[in-house]
Amino acid sequence: MILNKSLRLKIAQMVKESGEGHIPSSYSIVDLIEHLYDKVLRVDAKKPNWEDRDYFILSKGHGCGALYVVLHKYGFLTDQDIADYSTSKGILGGHPDMTIVPGAEASTGSLGHGFPTAIGTALGLRIQNRDNRTFALLGDGECHEGTIWESANVAANLGLGNLCAIVDWNGSAAQLMPYDDMPAKWSAFGWEVHVIDGHSAEEIQATFAKLQFSSDSRPKVVIARTIKGKGVSFTEGHGPWHHRVPTDEEMLLITQELTA
Amino acid sequence: MKNLRLEFADTMLEVGPNDPRLVVMVGDISHGILQPYAKACPGRYYNIGICEPTIVNMAAGLNKTGLIPVVHTIAPFITERAYEQIKLDFGYQNLSGNIVSVGGAFDYAQLGCSHHCYTDVSLISHLKRGVVVLPGSPLEFNKLFKETYTNGLINYFRLPDNAHGVEFKDEDIQFGRGIRVREGSDATIAVIGSQLRNALLAADKLSAEGVSVEVLYFHTIKPFDFEIVRASVTKTKRLLTVEELSAHDGIFNLCLRACLGLNDVSMAQIAIDDFVHGYGTYEELCAGIGMSPGGISQAVLRLAGKNT
Repeated sequence: MILNKSLRLKIAQMVKESGEGHIPSSYSIVDLIEHLYDKVLRVDAKKPNWEDRDYFILSKGHGCGALYVVLHKYGFLTDQDIADYSTSKGILGGHPDMTIVPGAEASTGSLGHGFPTAIGTALGLRIQNRDNRTFALLGDGECHEGTIWESANVAANLGLGNLCAIVDWNGSAAQLMPYDDMPAKWSAFGWEVHVIDGHSAEEIQATFAKLQFSSDSRPKVVIARTIKGKGVSFTEGHGPWHHRVPTDEEMLLITQELTA
Repeated sequence: MKNLRLEFADTMLEVGPNDPRLVVMVGDISHGILQPYAKACPGRYYNIGICEPTIVNMAAGLNKTGLIPVVHTIAPFITERAYEQIKLDFGYQNLSGNIVSVGGAFDYAQLGCSHHCYTDVSLISHLKRGVVVLPGSPLEFNKLFKETYTNGLINYFRLPDNAHGVEFKDEDIQFGRGIRVREGSDATIAVIGSQLRNALLAADKLSAEGVSVEVLYFHTIKPFDFEIVRASVTKTKRLLTVEELSAHDGIFNLCLRACLGLNDVSMAQIAIDDFVHGYGTYEELCAGIGMSPGGISQAVLRLAGKNT
């Protein structure tokens, strides 16, 4: 079963209309982000900078289409914001800018930055004895960056139990480096590891529901097996769709598949 | 005169107990001297390790939660290696913090070019919200840090290993203002950091030869005191900059801007043109690129059209 068909369609429409965006990278994570905002994160669309909010940082910034449609669904963004995506009139671009996008917690795009920001955020919250939680969503290709493993090392040694990383394990990394035992790597760095199907509502629900957050335990990582481009038959997998804009005919096919 | 790095530790100990927002993170240097601060401010000191980009990025995350980070390690690693983190995570994200380095220029003279840093001041200056302070004495650091660390900007402090040895009065040290250390009429020397010592020795030497030199000292590079340069050069018509910075983007460029529109002005620069290969003492490396009383005085005499 394909989850979040309407969100996927909205992502494709944004990319089609603006001529910019990463459809497959957004499709692999949209189910995870939707669940977080629906069931997990303590956030308030009316007060995006609410002091007691949880922090969600999209470290793989090029998947921002998924973040935008979820922020729109939950009231952070307006219809006009979505309509103006990637235009000079709008606040939404091909990577998120936290200084202008309500609900965006980091200005990402250069890979390997959002995750260390999350480590610092989690540490800052712990220093102040605040029980807000921090979540960071990383790409598996992003895990080629050295700062990911610097940060993984630091977070485990600091015992940042108020932190949860989510890895979009969609196989991008294995395109280049076939040895890809992601769970073993995180486990070796001292993290509490959970491996799930990132497109299964049941597994996403069950896993996030059981995570225990505290200020002095191990940080947690949810490694989500996902499919790049999941939801539309011909955008799935690794290939030309990574940064491609649909033609009129392709947009029709995408619409047909996501409204069937 | 007290070492600048010790003054840094003492200033953290002075400020930290009174400001619960201050958090110090180091890249495995100065760990021992910061223990009094760590004891006085439990939970607000972290020796993160050898991972400078992550330390800088974490500092931005700390600031997101309302804390005021101070990041401290060796200049090339915290500015050049981690520049993208400074640019994006502090600059693009409109966050603020404090970076305090040691080992600028070739202070680690015997360790080779891997530990040199000539571009730090230029790099931070490229950021509109960047502030650059190069204190050459303990009082300068103490006063300027306390004045700036909560300003909501990206503050960079380069601590030289060798204090310049001049005891300024408290009221002489004003953020963003140059100091006219010596008045003169034939030439102006604009100088930063430890080189103030050599500049003053050169001025003595030149005075004995009948050349009157005005010495301007700058502890704040950004914002720069353009007015004091323009006023001085309007009078002397000759300017030499002496700076432990890249010759390709240092205070010479700022002084050029200060002198725009002035006629009949001669200018010269003593700076770091390329990697300073080789080893030796700090003083030996300085002398090799003209940063000595003799080198400075000869440069002034050349500006004045006198054979040297």
